[in-house]
Amino acid sequence: MKTKFTIAGLVIALFLGARGPNSFARGDGFNDAVRTIEQFYHVKHQNIPLLARAGMKAVRTAARIKGGDYRRLAEAGSIRVVFFEDQNFDSRGQIANFKAALQSTLIAEWSPLVQTLAAKDEEQTYIYLRDSGAKFSLLVVTIERHEATVVQATVTPEILAELMKDPGDMGKALTDDATINDN
Amino acid sequence: MKLLFQTSGKLAAVFLLLLFGTVVTTRAQGAKLQLDQLDVLANKASETVDVRLDERLMQTTAKFFSGKDPDDAEIKDVLKGVKGIYVKSFTFDKDGEYSPAEVETVMSQLRSGTWSKILTVTSKKAGENVAVYLNTAGDQINGLVVLSVEPREFTVVNIVGPIDLEKLSKLEGQFGVPDLGIEKEKTKKKD
Repeated sequence: MKTKFTIAGLVIALFLGARGPNSFARGDGFNDAVRTIEQFYHVKHQNIPLLARAGMKAVRTAARIKGGDYRRLAEAGSIRVVFFEDQNFDSRGQIANFKAALQSTLIAEWSPLVQTLAAKDEEQTYIYLRDSGAKFSLLVVTIERHEATVVQATVTPEILAELMKDPGDMGKALTDDATINDN
Repeated sequence: MKLLFQTSGKLAAVFLLLLFGTVVTTRAQGAKLQLDQLDVLANKASETVDVRLDERLMQTTAKFFSGKDPDDAEIKDVLKGVKGIYVKSFTFDKDGEYSPAEVETVMSQLRSGTWSKILTVTSKKAGENVAVYLNTAGDQINGLVVLSVEPREFTVVNIVGPIDLEKLSKLEGQFGVPDLGIEKEKTKKKD
């Protein structure tokens, strides 16, 4: 009987251990990417309600992504957007280290699709992909010298096939839409 | 003891299956180059492009290329059997910002017996040096590498899986494959 309790205790401990600090600390990729940006660049993200209160572009951008030019990205699921604005993104000549940090954070669940970097201008675009059943989730991280955006959206395989013809352009277009204030 | 033998037998069978699976996968992946060591060049490059389209992604999306559009139909045909497209491209502001040692990390992989150079295009004036390597097993093409080495640009395109060389140019400008002008250069050579 004592052995059974010991085994049961071990199983419970292992289960809790597996779900312990590591798994609670780990997010779903989106939050992990946001955290990686914050840690590497020592910046803080702003969420949409805060920006909306401040009368900034975030809500309009999210709405446009949901129903406008990029509705194809949103047609199959939810959109998540986080902005970093008016902050300093300086890689200190170590842009490859950020790329590696993001990669190691996401690699367990996300596959890198396209990454474009311009170290001198501090411009970076990362597109990661994850299987979401019959559809795909795209995680797009764009960083410029003073702002950054993290977008997660779901696309159908048809749309993905279309985007794959020019994968770099998709990242750029999404970045522009999320960062250019057309007031 | 009987139980021990039964368990050992099962374990041996599982081990053999795993070993067989590993051999098959290794052969299929033999044409995929290790390119991650080049990532450090991003610190010096004015522009870096890194594209990774793996087998699952290729298969999933290839079937959505419409047969009605002639361009799509051609691409669909080229992609038939392709297991992955991997591109790393670095552009620099000045000459000499990457070293021969970095090129060598790719070249050393291409010196193995399964790779052979099929085309070299060199232009002393422009300092261009484009080479095409094929990975073959008998008559079967397992993959291809296009290596473009210029004073201010270094590009590696690695296509894994069988590919029709005559149709290779169809992929230029698509799927992150840069326009390397292979077809144009080949035509020039023939003239």
